[in-house]
Amino acid sequence: MYSGFKDYLTGQLNEIQEAGLYKNERIIVSPQGPFIMLDTGQEVLNFCANNYLGLSNSGELIRAAGEALKSHGYGMSSVRFICGTTDLHKELERKIAQFFSTEDTILYAACFDANGGVFEPLLTSEDAIISDALNHASIIDGVRLCKAKRYRYENSDMEDLETQLQLAQEQRFRLIVTDGVFSMDGNVAPMDEIYRLAQKYDAMVMVDECHSAGVVGKSGRGVTELFDLGGKIEIITGTLGKAFGGAIGGFTTGKREIIEMLRQRSRPYLFSNAIPPFVAAAGIRMIDMMTETNVLQDKLHWNSEYFISRMTGAGFDIKPTRSAICAVMLYDARLSQDFAARLLKEGIYVIGFYYPVVPKDLARIRVQISAAHEKDHLDKAIDAFTKVGRELGVIK
Amino acid sequence: MSFSEKIRGLYQTQLGEIRNAGIYKEERFIHSSQAADIEVEFPTGAEVKKVINMCANNYLGLSSHPEVIKAAHAGLDTRGYGMSSVRFICGTQDIHRELENRVTEFLGTEDTILFPSCMDANAGVFEAILTSEDIMISDRLVHASIIDGMRLCSAQHDTFKHSNMEHLEEKLLLHADKRIKLVITDGVFSMDGDLAKLDIMVELCNKYDAMLLVDDSHSTGFIGKTGRGTHEHCNVMGQIDIITTTFGKALGGASGGCVSGRKEIVDMCRQKARPYLFSNTIAPVIVSGVLKVFDILSASTERRDKLEKNTAYWRKGLTEAGFVLKEGDSPIIPVMLFNAKLSQDFSRDLFSRGIYAIGFFFPVVPNGQARIRTQISAGHEIHHLDKALAAFIEVGKKYGILGLTKEQIVAKYGL
Repeated sequence: MYSGFKDYLTGQLNEIQEAGLYKNERIIVSPQGPFIMLDTGQEVLNFCANNYLGLSNSGELIRAAGEALKSHGYGMSSVRFICGTTDLHKELERKIAQFFSTEDTILYAACFDANGGVFEPLLTSEDAIISDALNHASIIDGVRLCKAKRYRYENSDMEDLETQLQLAQEQRFRLIVTDGVFSMDGNVAPMDEIYRLAQKYDAMVMVDECHSAGVVGKSGRGVTELFDLGGKIEIITGTLGKAFGGAIGGFTTGKREIIEMLRQRSRPYLFSNAIPPFVAAAGIRMIDMMTETNVLQDKLHWNSEYFISRMTGAGFDIKPTRSAICAVMLYDARLSQDFAARLLKEGIYVIGFYYPVVPKDLARIRVQISAAHEKDHLDKAIDAFTKVGRELGVIK
Repeated sequence: MSFSEKIRGLYQTQLGEIRNAGIYKEERFIHSSQAADIEVEFPTGAEVKKVINMCANNYLGLSSHPEVIKAAHAGLDTRGYGMSSVRFICGTQDIHRELENRVTEFLGTEDTILFPSCMDANAGVFEAILTSEDIMISDRLVHASIIDGMRLCSAQHDTFKHSNMEHLEEKLLLHADKRIKLVITDGVFSMDGDLAKLDIMVELCNKYDAMLLVDDSHSTGFIGKTGRGTHEHCNVMGQIDIITTTFGKALGGASGGCVSGRKEIVDMCRQKARPYLFSNTIAPVIVSGVLKVFDILSASTERRDKLEKNTAYWRKGLTEAGFVLKEGDSPIIPVMLFNAKLSQDFSRDLFSRGIYAIGFFFPVVPNGQARIRTQISAGHEIHHLDKALAAFIEVGKKYGILGLTKEQIVAKYGL
């Protein structure tokens, strides 16, 4: 059978290649950091990791993980409810709940799984999910797996949200779902307005803090901190795979009964491995570090503002952002690829994004700022962007 | 607050019903590494107790193997803690490619792609390669993650009765007109421990021009003479189009999974599989541990040989004691109790005798099929098995089920 299918797939893969949309992976031979070494021997400045706080190679996290490797071994070889729950898992769940001022927390292998498994156990065909059009792929997949009626509103468009909420009044329960920070644009969801509308139309709110936890808000507690909504949001999902160390692991934190129901019924929780204990241990250390000081947040916020203001000054078209994501708009898919390739020659590692990751004709280079970047790193990147931008006629 | 008393009350009622039915999942806290002997706090707040673990997927006893831990440690020191990226942005290290190559070599396939877990591999593979013109024909007992993957795929779907090859053939005939036919099965079925008849399935797939996907999560590392998996056991290596498997069970047990198989299929997953494109790369520390696991498995079959011996010993002991078991050739040996509450009581009584084994009931297994699933490990010594057997017999006597048939147990306890 395979021969026929092989021809079919080869044809499809060729089409992807010809459209210039084939994803090639660059191979890194160093730890994640502001500087990384590629297998070509080139050392480059990395501006496309979710390593917002610069902790992916943190000595403290490595130490915490190393100690847990000794005390709790390598893997659990089990899902949580069979024999995969250690004291470290419970402690991390407690700490995350404290950090976000929620009632309880449940851990997943990834936030992809947290989002994939949150809707189906809580909502039925009697209920409504009202989802932002730019929500992350994992939320979309979770919604696809749930029987609730779906409503969609345009990105952060509060008038549209209100319209959809009115349409959803006949359903039993309503859940508004939004990313905290939208990963491709960097804009922050207007949580104050969303919360107000949720009150008015008797809806619950779920926010995905993957790109905001650790990043947004004075102490990095995410968009709920930015809008002073601590303890008021029913469901928060987030990851340990970005700012919080970047290894693996995700979580859902929120109302006690919701978390309890997920522990009984959420499929990616019941049917996939517990995160290894050393990841839980590093997570605990991570939350402790976040509670001790805001030094990293302060530096990240300074870096982001500096980078964005200088790039705007240089004439680049930057999407409005309140996060560590800075989308440099180029619109054309091929231009985004050329631009990224030239930047790599200048020692700057970024990726050009195009359809279907972003809408058609809205290709861009997504720059991600880290607290690990120093001012001279930012200057070097801005200079390289300016040089290539002029060469390619993107700026004057 | 919109989380109104009404909503809170509804969830509380549902949770109360789960509790009253005696099927509430309570987690037991482990204060040690995963191994034959573990230290458990249960119920919460109780004094930590040493028990023998009979229900981990730690088939080869590698979850806390000193060499694996050492390799993971070295990985932390040289490759850092996390990558904070998906694979195609800046999350691919040379060791990720190295692991993909090692898996390919070990399974005898053409190429391999890593996923954060096998749950994600199964969730992503179907949608990446099939469309509504195609059909997925799956065994009725395949794992939940395959079911979710199929739910996310627009291809048509049909099932065949568990391991029933006549029924599979009927379905292949019925769907002869579809463009691509993909037959889907677990290698070892996780709740029953029986093996798929891959030799017959390969034959049928060849005859009816279909492809075959096998989830070998409960087999990779120990089924087959050199532990390559169910395809080795059934003598069809090189003939399976897609194998999905996990590093979260026998292969160290931390996390991570993969799709391994035809080169173009793997390549298409790299371009299109959503859990691959939209979720983190596996952390380098985990990759380093799994690479060491493959070193250990390639050096000797000692661990899988010991597992086979332990399994035979355990099965013989339970059979002679008069328990109803499911037949199978794997280290998964379900002790059948049928009644959900009995499975919970039995498990609790085992625990008080120092044996940790969980009772399974609906929806993890079909209604009226409750059981204690025992899982044997190369980390078990004969004294562990003897102690566990003595406890099973004691508790079996307490509930008066030794020597009873299924019908007699059901008559006594209901379904």
